Amino acid sequence: MTLLLARFPFLSALLVCCIGGLLLVLLLPAGKTREIKWVSAATSGLTLFISLYLFLAFDRNIGGLQFVEKRPWVPSLGISYFNGVDGFSVPMILLTGVVFFTGVLTMWDLEKRVKEFFAMIILLVIGVFGMFMALDLFFIFVWYDVSLLPMYLLIAIWGTTRKEYGAMKLMLYLLAGSALILPGIIYLVVNSGMGTFDLPALMVHAAFTPFQQKLAFLLFYIGFGILAGIWPLHTWSPVGHVAAPTAVSMIHAGVLMKIGAFGILRLGIFLCPAGWQYWAPLMAVLAVIGIVYGALAGLRQTDLKFVIGYSSVSHMGVVGLGLSTLTAEGLNGAVFQMFAHGVMTALFFSSVGYMYDRTHTRMIPELGGMAHVFPRASAYFILAAMAGIGVPCLASFWAELPVFIAAFRVYPILACIAVSGLVISALFFLRVIRNTCFGPANERFAQLADMSPAAQIPRMLLAATIVMFGLFPFLMYDTIQAATMTVINRLP
Amino acid sequence: MEKTEPGRRNWKQPDRVQGSAPGVRPIERKEKQIMSIPVTTIWAAILAAVLPLAAFGMILIGCRRRSSTSATLSIGAMSMSLACAVYLLATHGSAGVPLAFAKKWMVSGNLHITVGFLLDPLSLLMMVIVTAICFLVQMYSLAYMAGDPGFGRYYAFMSLFAWAMISLTLAPNLLQLYVFWELVGLSSYLLIGFWFEKFSASRAGKKAFIMTRVGDVAFLLGLLLLLAHHGNLDILNLNDPETTAHMRPMVITLSSLLIFGGIIGKSAQFPLFTWLPDAMEGPTPVSALLHSATMVAAGVYLFARLFPFLGHSPFAMTVFLFIGTLSMLMASCMAMVSRDIKQVWAYSTISQLGFMIMGLGAGGYFGGVFHLTAHAGFKALLFLCAGVLIHAFHTNDMFEISRQNGRRMRITMTCMVVAGAALAGIWPFSGFYSKEVILGRLAALDNPIWLLAGLAGAFLTAYYTFRLVFIILFPRPEPHVARDAHGGHRESWIMTVPLMVLAAVTLVLGHLERPLAALIAGGDSVSKVNGNPAWLPPLAMGLCAAGVLLAWIEFGRKGARQSGFVEQWPVLTRLFAERWYLDRFYAWLVDRVVDRGASAWCAQNDIRRIDGAAHALADSAVNTGRVLATWHRGLVQPKLMVMLAVFFYLTITLLF
Repeated sequence: MTLLLARFPFLSALLVCCIGGLLLVLLLPAGKTREIKWVSAATSGLTLFISLYLFLAFDRNIGGLQFVEKRPWVPSLGISYFNGVDGFSVPMILLTGVVFFTGVLTMWDLEKRVKEFFAMIILLVIGVFGMFMALDLFFIFVWYDVSLLPMYLLIAIWGTTRKEYGAMKLMLYLLAGSALILPGIIYLVVNSGMGTFDLPALMVHAAFTPFQQKLAFLLFYIGFGILAGIWPLHTWSPVGHVAAPTAVSMIHAGVLMKIGAFGILRLGIFLCPAGWQYWAPLMAVLAVIGIVYGALAGLRQTDLKFVIGYSSVSHMGVVGLGLSTLTAEGLNGAVFQMFAHGVMTALFFSSVGYMYDRTHTRMIPELGGMAHVFPRASAYFILAAMAGIGVPCLASFWAELPVFIAAFRVYPILACIAVSGLVISALFFLRVIRNTCFGPANERFAQLADMSPAAQIPRMLLAATIVMFGLFPFLMYDTIQAATMTVINRLP
Repeated sequence: MEKTEPGRRNWKQPDRVQGSAPGVRPIERKEKQIMSIPVTTIWAAILAAVLPLAAFGMILIGCRRRSSTSATLSIGAMSMSLACAVYLLATHGSAGVPLAFAKKWMVSGNLHITVGFLLDPLSLLMMVIVTAICFLVQMYSLAYMAGDPGFGRYYAFMSLFAWAMISLTLAPNLLQLYVFWELVGLSSYLLIGFWFEKFSASRAGKKAFIMTRVGDVAFLLGLLLLLAHHGNLDILNLNDPETTAHMRPMVITLSSLLIFGGIIGKSAQFPLFTWLPDAMEGPTPVSALLHSATMVAAGVYLFARLFPFLGHSPFAMTVFLFIGTLSMLMASCMAMVSRDIKQVWAYSTISQLGFMIMGLGAGGYFGGVFHLTAHAGFKALLFLCAGVLIHAFHTNDMFEISRQNGRRMRITMTCMVVAGAALAGIWPFSGFYSKEVILGRLAALDNPIWLLAGLAGAFLTAYYTFRLVFIILFPRPEPHVARDAHGGHRESWIMTVPLMVLAAVTLVLGHLERPLAALIAGGDSVSKVNGNPAWLPPLAMGLCAAGVLLAWIEFGRKGARQSGFVEQWPVLTRLFAERWYLDRFYAWLVDRVVDRGASAWCAQNDIRRIDGAAHALADSAVNTGRVLATWHRGLVQPKLMVMLAVFFYLTITLLF
């Protein structure tokens, strides 16, 4: 892998910016909610700006690792502060920037414990950014846990609907995951005999035996897979979505689940290619079950957030299927799907959150006729649903299609089942649209106001992202493409 | 970092994929040929497709509320597209070589997705049909949709449709075609459910989307199969006989059948046709444009597009012929008992599309395309006429329109009779000529049953068409009901001008058979057109006349019973009115098998088994802790007891 050192440490700047925002929020008195919100918005806006810069400045023709920063941290243990981005992590950082910014703006009307809320959100995002840019196994694990812990408080304090149960379930599942990841990391570091946590060095120089790779990959796959919502370890996810407040759902489904898939990619696939190859059929089977099962289970739900939660299970199945194909096309498609799904669910939760804040219900039978009351909110909702169905010219289509193409060559029967899942997902989303947005105007909600222009900003940003990458998928694929062959060439 | 070489256009075989298929060669498109396309042609093709998209975006973002601006934008873009289409047909229609232009759009691994256009007589003809009817319908909608609160939204969706449909028509490879195939499905969904406050409309939109999606999944699988075994989806390349010579017959047959699944969905053929009658919930101009003339014809267009490729599998062709025939007869039967004017035209659309597929399936390329062209004209006209009546009388019931003296709308009724005659296949209207070509093709088949079915279809078509026409033209005198005093409605010229244009086309088109044949099928097949047996035209005409006569006896003449011959058998009437019980079957399937079957099982499984296992694990952890906790309660007595017990044990073992 080529390493390009950055002159200005943009990646650290991203973290410093978040940490500065966090400190400012903590220093401000709790009563100054307006100032806290503005500081959070400025922080998130700045991170969006930096992540956009990273996305644009990333040299697609060279590929490899760029913006690399490396400082020794604990030299005796071989731990270093080592950041860098490649074609896989740049889209993820952009995604985090977009979802963070829009999430903060979505919560503009929050009144309960504002200071703590925004502090937690920023802390969570620090972990996410760190996870996506870290190249040191120790730091990857630390950032991973930093991003998980605030979730518990965010759900348990600001949540709704069985929030303690949801928060506890989520926490236990995810900690169980990290209990598998840590042994995996230690196992690899010890067995490498190099005494370093440096991921590129381990990738290039360590010679793990096939058995070691198989074992470590399984640990990473299950450990991170819990967070990625693989079947049958997915049940924490819909419950967590339902319990979480809007912005947390957005970050949770939009970014956190991607951390899981990204972890499988970064640790499992980068370090243990033989394990990847060995377990690929299992991944494919679980992914296809997830695709069909998630859509089917979602059909019966009456709570809008449950519906979206299950759709995430189904869509993350596409990521798993892409990863399991062992091909460049499938891998690219999986990463693109991570991005597309993140933006799509964020828009989904954002528009549902708007309706919920006004109507105080998420029960589909009680809604209906929302297109009369909230034409704009409904339009964003329908756009997100269309992206979920996989309508062309919206981002998800360009993710799903290459994954299916790649999967069909490797696992023809599984791919046929997964493609048939498209019918169920269409049924699923259209039913939700019809029962929520269409139908005669609902008298109960007649006096509620539609989105103001300010409230439209985050939704518009998300919608524009979906449409832009849907119309011009090459903008994203050229970047992802720059990292793929490194991985594919390592396959035994 | 590895870069894929730019010369390869589509998908090349990756090295490591298991079970790799033999015989995949990257296609070598002659670069000279691409370079020789004039710049004006490229711009005309791009503009024709992109202008409606621009109109869509501008209306949706800028002026959804300002109705006149949105209509101006949309119609302006549409007229430009029409001009481009006509220009392209005029400049390239007679060129022998198809012009293909492709630009790389997305590269991922070995998958190269291109966009571009393919200009050949078929796509140019289809493009002119699409843009012309889009333009006419958008003009007509100015009056029809006037005052609707969603006026701007309507024009935005119409522009979206126009963009998708034109791009579909121009697609040079099947992947691009699939993309826009899905997008016309989306615009169809949006336009059927345009009046979303009506439950029936939103349900119909959903149904249309899902049922076409079922077909599209088959289509997509067909594409995946072709990609896996052939390596690219270029239409010209697939139609090349050399390509098919390298492929296994099994793959050709299977992929043909799968692609035909998409055609079944989009063109509303058996067994997926039930969405089309429901789609009539949309505004009538939408029905005229999408659900009769253009979008549903996309399936037939795809068939014609891939005609050389699909024709390689005799088995598949027989299946196509069978499905087309079955759909044609079933839909004709349903049309005989409906009272709803739009439903009748919807059924007749299914049946005419089936007839086109019969023609193509029988190997009659020109017949299918010619009938597609003729049908687009007269069926759009029939729907627009129905729209005038519905707009004036606020009902879809033909008996009600008749009672309210619908026949006073002279221009409309004249146009409707012209179009009806074309649909029934009466000389000298366009339908007569195009049906004749297809029937000639069917007569050339070995098995006479296809010709018999085609003739039966012609008879039924004439019957149900004129049943409707006579019902409206000759109202039954009802002495007890006072005639509506308000006399004839004024027919707005915005609505009647498109009618007259289409009526003129219907009159003229039939006589353009030879030039069209020369354009579409090349010079060699013109001779085949005239090869029909001499007894066929009189026989077909006679059957049509018999159909019209029967309708006259039952509905037209003075003292007619006003009930059809089918209604003497209640079982049949019910069967036809229930659409052969296919709707019931699908409702059962979705409700019992999907909803209460698989879906309920999955939802329960999550709660009972998966969560149950997780809870059991958590509980067992808690219980283990509880048991262990009893050892750590810090009570002195039990600990003393244990101490004593251990002490005794040790004493005893040590002493003895």
